[in-house]
Amino acid sequence: MTTTDISHRSKFLAQGNVYLPHIVVIERIIEETPGVRTLHFNFKDKKLREEFTFQSGQFAEYSVFGIGEAPFCISSSPTRRDHLEFAVQRVGRVTNAMHRLGVGAEIGFRGPYGNSFPLDFLQGKNLIFVGGGIGLAPLRSLIWNVIDNRDKYKNIDIIYGARSPTDLCFKYDLEAWGKNKTINMVITVDRGDETWAGKVGLVPKVLEEVAPSARNAVAIVCGPPIMIRFTFPVLTKLGFTPEQMLTTLEKRMKCGIGKCGRCNIGNIFVCRDGPVFTHAQIKSFVSSEY
Amino acid sequence: MTSNKINKKDIEKLLSQWSQEFTVFAPSIESGIATMAKWDGKDTSFLDWYRNTVIPPKANFLPPMEEMFSFQKDKEGYHIELSPSNGHKQLIFGIRPCDAKALAILDMTFKDLYQDPYYLPKRSSTVLIGLGCAKPYDSCFCTSLGISPAESTDVDLMLTDIGDQFLIEPISAAGKELIAKTSGLKEATKDDEARAKEVKETSYNKVTRKINAEGIIDKLLASFDDQDYWEKIAAKCMSCGICTFLCPTCYCFDINDELVKQQGARLRNWDSCAFPLYTKMPMENPRQEKWRRVRQKVCHKFGFYPMTFNVIACTGCGRCIRLCPVNWDITQTLAGLPIKVQE
Amino acid sequence: MEQKLRHEAKALLEQGKVDWIIGFEPGSLKFTTTPLITKDKNGADRLVINPFIVNNLANFLTEIKGRVGIVAKGCDSRSIVSLIQDNKVVREDVVILGIPCPGIIDLGKVERLVGKDRDELDDITREGDKVTIKVDGEKREFPITQALFDNCLACEFPTPQEYDILLGEPTSPIANKLATQEKIENLKQMTPEQRWGFWEKELSRCIRCYACRNVCPACFCQRCFVEETEPQWALPVPRWQDNLIFQIVRNIHVAGRCTDCGECERACPVNIPLRSLTREMYDIVDELFHFKAGTDKDALPLMTHYEQEEAEDFFR
Repeated sequence: MTTTDISHRSKFLAQGNVYLPHIVVIERIIEETPGVRTLHFNFKDKKLREEFTFQSGQFAEYSVFGIGEAPFCISSSPTRRDHLEFAVQRVGRVTNAMHRLGVGAEIGFRGPYGNSFPLDFLQGKNLIFVGGGIGLAPLRSLIWNVIDNRDKYKNIDIIYGARSPTDLCFKYDLEAWGKNKTINMVITVDRGDETWAGKVGLVPKVLEEVAPSARNAVAIVCGPPIMIRFTFPVLTKLGFTPEQMLTTLEKRMKCGIGKCGRCNIGNIFVCRDGPVFTHAQIKSFVSSEY
Repeated sequence: MTSNKINKKDIEKLLSQWSQEFTVFAPSIESGIATMAKWDGKDTSFLDWYRNTVIPPKANFLPPMEEMFSFQKDKEGYHIELSPSNGHKQLIFGIRPCDAKALAILDMTFKDLYQDPYYLPKRSSTVLIGLGCAKPYDSCFCTSLGISPAESTDVDLMLTDIGDQFLIEPISAAGKELIAKTSGLKEATKDDEARAKEVKETSYNKVTRKINAEGIIDKLLASFDDQDYWEKIAAKCMSCGICTFLCPTCYCFDINDELVKQQGARLRNWDSCAFPLYTKMPMENPRQEKWRRVRQKVCHKFGFYPMTFNVIACTGCGRCIRLCPVNWDITQTLAGLPIKVQE
Repeated sequence: MEQKLRHEAKALLEQGKVDWIIGFEPGSLKFTTTPLITKDKNGADRLVINPFIVNNLANFLTEIKGRVGIVAKGCDSRSIVSLIQDNKVVREDVVILGIPCPGIIDLGKVERLVGKDRDELDDITREGDKVTIKVDGEKREFPITQALFDNCLACEFPTPQEYDILLGEPTSPIANKLATQEKIENLKQMTPEQRWGFWEKELSRCIRCYACRNVCPACFCQRCFVEETEPQWALPVPRWQDNLIFQIVRNIHVAGRCTDCGECERACPVNIPLRSLTREMYDIVDELFHFKAGTDKDALPLMTHYEQEEAEDFFR
């Protein structure tokens, strides 16, 4: 179901060594929310800048040299290649270090790893994107990818929410998608504030209200685990089969290439066989851990 | 190719000869702990006491700590340099069949999808000289996993103790090559080979601990959600790393950076799924409870690994049983699985 | 003693006075016992008392929820008292089944005495102050002091002082510190460079399995300092210098709680002489503060309580 395009995997090795990062330079920093920032970067090596490709849904391992390495999805679209982007939330040692970097700083990049959203499966279908908080990051790569090939896809619904108005990420995207007449953009927050005039309600609830049709449709869900847990039952109620629901899983990762053992769920590795999975695949996981 | 033999008292000369081409590792004991250490050039007293090492030979290929690359920063930015590997060929003398098989099992992970650039070169530049077990431990259970304590297809040469001498059988092409360049070996007679066959059978029968590995994957999957069983099994576990670190087929590792002023390195070191923080994420930890981690360890070795690679990630060396501070015993866990497999 | 223990433990479960029984049962290897943790009254029939009951079961009290009937030797009962003083265990939630302990046999010493491995021995029996080791059909006798753990030889409180049921007659301490002191004296005689070299050699074998920390009842932190990343006190990498930091800081953290049960040194799979650090700390704590962990159940924890009037004169 999900594409496991292996041809990408060994193409961009630094010095032939799969653990060696490439040097990338930070070109722009956007403070999305008090705890989340997006970093725009590019390879220091000009040849790599031209040649590097990836697919929506894939992730990479980013290093702050001397502090450590952490995995984040590539949040920019492969159709817009003048630079690359990733979004990082401040939660620990490496991410705190990332939030202290300035424009011009050099970090390491290893990737792209993992599988990607199955574009051939999505083509010709209605797409319902359901996102929460920073979970919009992998989705936005796919959304811009779809918009840049708009005629290959049918209707687009985007339902996105965050805890509060200040926690909404990628506000510039939300605005652009809202202005796009071929997209139905629904934004909600769990709790409003004095300035908020829009919808208030949890994402799964709003999804139930919007009630998109399951016919010829695929839902792509990304957000905090608790949001996903409550979204799947709503989609089921709306008639979506488990094969019609996609999501990306998050696990603690180190090597990103299926060797260090950390991200395994039963006999699969999230870094090697994911992070994109259908709900059907998740239900069949040997381990009921997730 | 026929077998050769060598007198036990000529082993020192043999190892010296091999030291010309290889860095020779042999069993050595320090502070009561047996490891495969660099041979000091003359001591072969290990032939008297050696049964098996505490630290498994995986440490020669996936060391407890390894530098992956170093980096430094100057005004032009960061420069990454691969850490120099010593490149010298290794020869491990006296590896047991269980440990040799374990290396073959580890190979599958390090070759899968991406070639591991640290483990694999060491493997291909190492010659393994296997030695059959004359005295298996009471904690050994290799025979239940299709492994003989006396024979191995995962070594280059296989030695069998036939009294004052060792029978030397070539197993791999590299082993045959090595024999061709080694002097001082005599040709084995039919009697020697017959004697060796007897010795091997005796060794095999000395392994008394058994597990039932048949259908183990299904049994584990069927018991997977039985929380009561796993809580009972996990109750006395201390969540330390002894079983996983000393296991010849365990390979989980951690990656850490260090930085001093503008220079640093990225290091890889042993890690264990038994540690509580192994799977911790900022918002949740899917294996916070001890019983989940113990279940993971057993199911990974006897369930998930064979599901992917068709081989059980255990060679019955018994180190986990011998060295666990609370005598947690995996053979008891496997024997006690509540079986509810649907027909 | 064993029959009485089984009877008492079973009664405690049957009468609903405890939820769990924690004790020892025969292990899966010769001359080994393993912790028994059970809610089932029939499990109590497997309880044993023999010269191999080495684990410090107090370790389990910080993770088992509910009321526990726990088997405790002298050192273990002191650990329980220490945990009570630290508010990690509620006294009313434990029923201490005290075992006066004549010392635990160190299999490592036995193996060295007869030059054979544990699984090659036929039998090890203790009779009074002698130990008889049967190997290859032959019986060899040694004074028991040659076969006991060093910390058992040095033990001053073999009979639990804090208990609910004492399962035998109080036993007198051997209180022979020679073996332990010899090792520590050797270290004290060394120059700082020699001592540094000694620990470099020993700690280079350390693989950071954390068995020493995990078997220790005094180590009950949910997240150990060595697992902190902000700041990162020591790398989780087994470099000997980081290993040294781990040992030194752990010793300082358990000072005043360590009862010299010796589990850290016994559990270490690579034979690092950890008691040369822990016992020295134990003696320093005694010398400076006249305090031995877990011996006075009314005492407040040594390092974590504050009084306006400082008892010791070396404080200003």
